[in-house]
Amino acid sequence: MKEKKLIQYLILIHWTLFSATTVIDKIVPDVYPLWVGADFYTLFIKFFASLGLTDPIFATIALAGISFLEIVAFVCFAFSLFNLYKTKDKIAEQWFYRGIGFSILTFSLFSIGDQIFGDRFTLLEHTIFWIILVISWVIYKYNSLTDERVIKFSMSKDIKVGMLVGTLFTVITTVSLFSFSKETFANKTQPVQGEEVVEGVYKFDIPFLGDKITMENTLKDFENKHSDLKINYIYTGPDELNSKKKTHMLLYVFTEPK
Amino acid sequence: MENKNSDFTNRIIGKDLIRYFILIYWALFWLLNIVDKVIGGAHFLFVGKDRFAQIERFFDSLGLGEPIIANIALVITAGLETFAFVFFAGALYHFAKKNLDATRSWFFIGIALTLITYTYFSVGDQVFGDHFELLEHGLFWFIGLLSWIIFIRVDKIQLFDNFSIGRKQFIVSSIVVLAITAVTTFSIFWHNHTSFVERTQAVSAEKIADNKYKIKFPFLAGSKAFENSIAKFKTDNPTEKITYIYTAPAQLRLGESDGLIIYIQTEKK
Repeated sequence: MKEKKLIQYLILIHWTLFSATTVIDKIVPDVYPLWVGADFYTLFIKFFASLGLTDPIFATIALAGISFLEIVAFVCFAFSLFNLYKTKDKIAEQWFYRGIGFSILTFSLFSIGDQIFGDRFTLLEHTIFWIILVISWVIYKYNSLTDERVIKFSMSKDIKVGMLVGTLFTVITTVSLFSFSKETFANKTQPVQGEEVVEGVYKFDIPFLGDKITMENTLKDFENKHSDLKINYIYTGPDELNSKKKTHMLLYVFTEPK
Repeated sequence: MENKNSDFTNRIIGKDLIRYFILIYWALFWLLNIVDKVIGGAHFLFVGKDRFAQIERFFDSLGLGEPIIANIALVITAGLETFAFVFFAGALYHFAKKNLDATRSWFFIGIALTLITYTYFSVGDQVFGDHFELLEHGLFWFIGLLSWIIFIRVDKIQLFDNFSIGRKQFIVSSIVVLAITAVTTFSIFWHNHTSFVERTQAVSAEKIADNKYKIKFPFLAGSKAFENSIAKFKTDNPTEKITYIYTAPAQLRLGESDGLIIYIQTEKK
């Protein structure tokens, strides 16, 4: 296979999967087993409400319109990929161009919306995707205009060494990942031990896997171990106090004798 | 011969240097990603990111809380990253050996693995609904693609044919660099000398109303500064009992110099 062709496949697969998952996210609007996604309906309702358009029909129509453009883009990318596979390069390029066009239109509309709703971070996000789409099209078309180089990949000595080193590193990383997961999975529910940092004030370093269950178990465990103390107040240490990033969350428990 | 040497030097400084930068960057990028996975958790001299916790939480939100699922996803990621590293390192080796054809082949496979990795991540981000990570991974995918184009097309970019600097300009620019570096270094060391103590130093509370106090922390303050400040508050106000602490949100800290601000509510013991 030519280098140019493989790059085209990689670009097309990326945008086909990107648009497919975007469409699925609209079809599955809430959290379900095996799909969380983003809640665009709530986002749109809030955006339109901030404009004074509280009737849900506005958000629903806008979301349906955007979804239509995304579906068309997905179909274009999928057809492009199919035609590339069938070696109909010219037709594939035409479908890709249409897909890019609809995607650019979608992100342009998003950007206009971001300006109206005053969401500058999302505006940056959508503009970045917009430019990535434009340059993806340029690279798809011109990535190897002059040289039609074929991928050379024979099992030479250096490739064998590379595969061996890669396999070895993967095995080492796998062993390390499994061992780390075995050591730390209990952190998900296991109570955290507190440290008295000021008289009557205890600090808990909640680990990265720590969840609400961890906190509940931590408090239960603390009350069992300190039956002479009454919890007055719980304070969550803000990010500014946790700048070392070694802990997921800092929790301070203020107590007094019963 | 002299001209040939000059051409060779200019080529190394120019286009070859850009190729070296691209290869070294991607080889180190994936190597450090692997090291992050091998080490796992925060240790002395390496904090990294707890990927197991992140991926486990993601899968848990899908209803797949079993650690084996997160482990399998991480092993697939680690495999892709490891082979990407191997191919970039191989490309770097071949480039150093001036074996340009092999360099291109190895680099191409490295880039293809990088693109596959980020497409895989992007699908995950959509499933897990993390649009910030989707943007991050989309950008890395794009940077990978662009790196490939720059790597193969750098010969077509017009670069200067002479990188030497005139004697006078060299002396003046060196003096300017040294002078600004000296001023900056002095300023950094002086700031360290006067401010490092703020990392742990207790901050005094300011009474703003009956039973209400404000503590304004400097930017450098960490958890120790908070704990020492609470201890100091308790010592300074032995008759008061803390009943509530309110953290001023970012919306109330509009001044550029406003670090963390907390309000303490108390009652008489």
